[in-house]
Amino acid sequence: MHRSPPPTSTTSNPPTTTSTAALHTLLLLSDSALPLGSFAFSSGLESYLAHHRPPPPQPLNTFLPLSLRSLASTSLPYLRSAHRDPSLLTSLDNDLDASTLCPVARRASTAQGRALLGVWERSLRAHHVGSEDDGSGVKALKAFSAQLRASAGDAYPAAGHFAPVWGVVTRVMGVGEREAGYVFLFAAARAVVSAAVRASVMGPYEAQGVLAGRELGGLIEGLLGEFWDVQVEGAGQSVPAVDLWVGRHEVLYSRIFNS
Amino acid sequence: MASPFASSTSLPGLGTIHVALLPPTTPVLQTLSYQYPLKLIAPDPSTLRTDAGAHLVHTVFLLTYGGGLVAGDTIDLRIKLSHPSRLVLLTQGSTKIFKTPTRSLVSGQRLVVDFEPGAALCYLPDPVQPYADSVFEQTQVYNVPGPDSSLCVCDWVSEGRTARGEKWSFYKYTSKNEVWLVPEEGDRKLILRDNVLLDDSGNVAPIAGRIDNLGVFGTLILVGPLFKALGEYFVDEFKRLPRIGNRNWDDTKEVMTDSIEVARARRQKQETKDGLLWTAAHVRGLVLVKFGAREVEGVKQWLSTMIKAEGSIETNFGERALLCLK
Repeated sequence: MHRSPPPTSTTSNPPTTTSTAALHTLLLLSDSALPLGSFAFSSGLESYLAHHRPPPPQPLNTFLPLSLRSLASTSLPYLRSAHRDPSLLTSLDNDLDASTLCPVARRASTAQGRALLGVWERSLRAHHVGSEDDGSGVKALKAFSAQLRASAGDAYPAAGHFAPVWGVVTRVMGVGEREAGYVFLFAAARAVVSAAVRASVMGPYEAQGVLAGRELGGLIEGLLGEFWDVQVEGAGQSVPAVDLWVGRHEVLYSRIFNS
Repeated sequence: MASPFASSTSLPGLGTIHVALLPPTTPVLQTLSYQYPLKLIAPDPSTLRTDAGAHLVHTVFLLTYGGGLVAGDTIDLRIKLSHPSRLVLLTQGSTKIFKTPTRSLVSGQRLVVDFEPGAALCYLPDPVQPYADSVFEQTQVYNVPGPDSSLCVCDWVSEGRTARGEKWSFYKYTSKNEVWLVPEEGDRKLILRDNVLLDDSGNVAPIAGRIDNLGVFGTLILVGPLFKALGEYFVDEFKRLPRIGNRNWDDTKEVMTDSIEVARARRQKQETKDGLLWTAAHVRGLVLVKFGAREVEGVKQWLSTMIKAEGSIETNFGERALLCLK
């Protein structure tokens, strides 16, 4: 599989083993118009800026690598595990919920996870190519979706976290696990960069430059390398400051984002 | 020829604490065993009298020879708390993690606490202090059978020997705290996992940057009926923190008369001075507090001010429970 996106620079390095169907799915899932509501979250950027006044000259240079690193160490093991074995979806969701200690981060993760489940049910399910050999992913999504509704009154209800749902949906849609991880981190980077534009930290051209940059590709590859083989029991917070920034988003006087 | 001496069953670093029930209602320290480099000291239990009756509170100091762990040292402590025991765990100064000759030689600490219904643990230690070029891995597992066991644990770490210019210059520090619901019947369920991973290898981002240049950070976990009021207090005070970016357009000088408000304003001023940042929230039926500050002293002062202002730890466990925060 090709591992050197960003997509804007892949013309000389075309995906080789990705089938057209998988490429189509990748384009679909990496589209910012995918209705997950990701634009509503800044992953702590807004709070980071409020805690660093006056802001450093290039705040995103510091913040983006920290934010992605935090996401990778907490979420990638769950994504990979769900992609490999969808039957674990419910227990992965519970354990990730137990490990997501900040309500602001939980809101962001479950809002996007539930939205993705909705997109799967309403839009993708009817069109997926059935690339799975055993249909376990489709079954797991159906069961999990029912459980989300049924367990609402329980002491520890199903939460619908983003990373494991993403893992299963990408599997069902025929996207390889490593690509699924790459797009997950890339989409998170895009959400932070887009938040930065709206928070007037940078202009739209500069933002595209960040997304197109070799640094971002290298950063994502590095994080995949570092956290891909970590078991879910070893997933954790590698950037403790993110917990403080995201948690303290609640005490900002004015907010334009939900996280 | 077989040795005529029975081989020892105790392993290095292994320790056991068992607070058992002496019928009808008296908790006793039934087992207290330990092996080098771990040392456990239990002063006489104290009796606390509250409106709800008298309670015996046991205290155990966790000590290590030399005040810390050299590379390769491991501590493995198992605690069992029967109903209705109350245990206070304390340390005597920060736990130093000494330099390792090679990355693969790890200093480790493992703690497993099994609660019976109604048992309680209050564990407010000094911070872990990893020196430059050290490797430390810690796992603390709390198995609670249901909603009436109580747990208060603070897990915190400092940047090293500041006097020698050390600033998060260890190789690796990981600390994992897990709370499991272990009902008498049925499967165990993970309630909370707080896992901090700091490793200087593999990535360019220096550890200090990942902690926003704070000198100390940590987590406080509050579970169960004996810490419910304290948990609510933290969450409530967090909601009352001054909003960041708020401006006071009112030019009349506010005069505070309420003593609670005066104390709160004083504490918040001190927080700003110490660079103390914190958050508190309800998470899956318990309360979780995250904090960071420039220096250990700032955290000690803040934590003890908060805990004393609310008061229930001193009432239920005695003043000694806060010894490490002095």
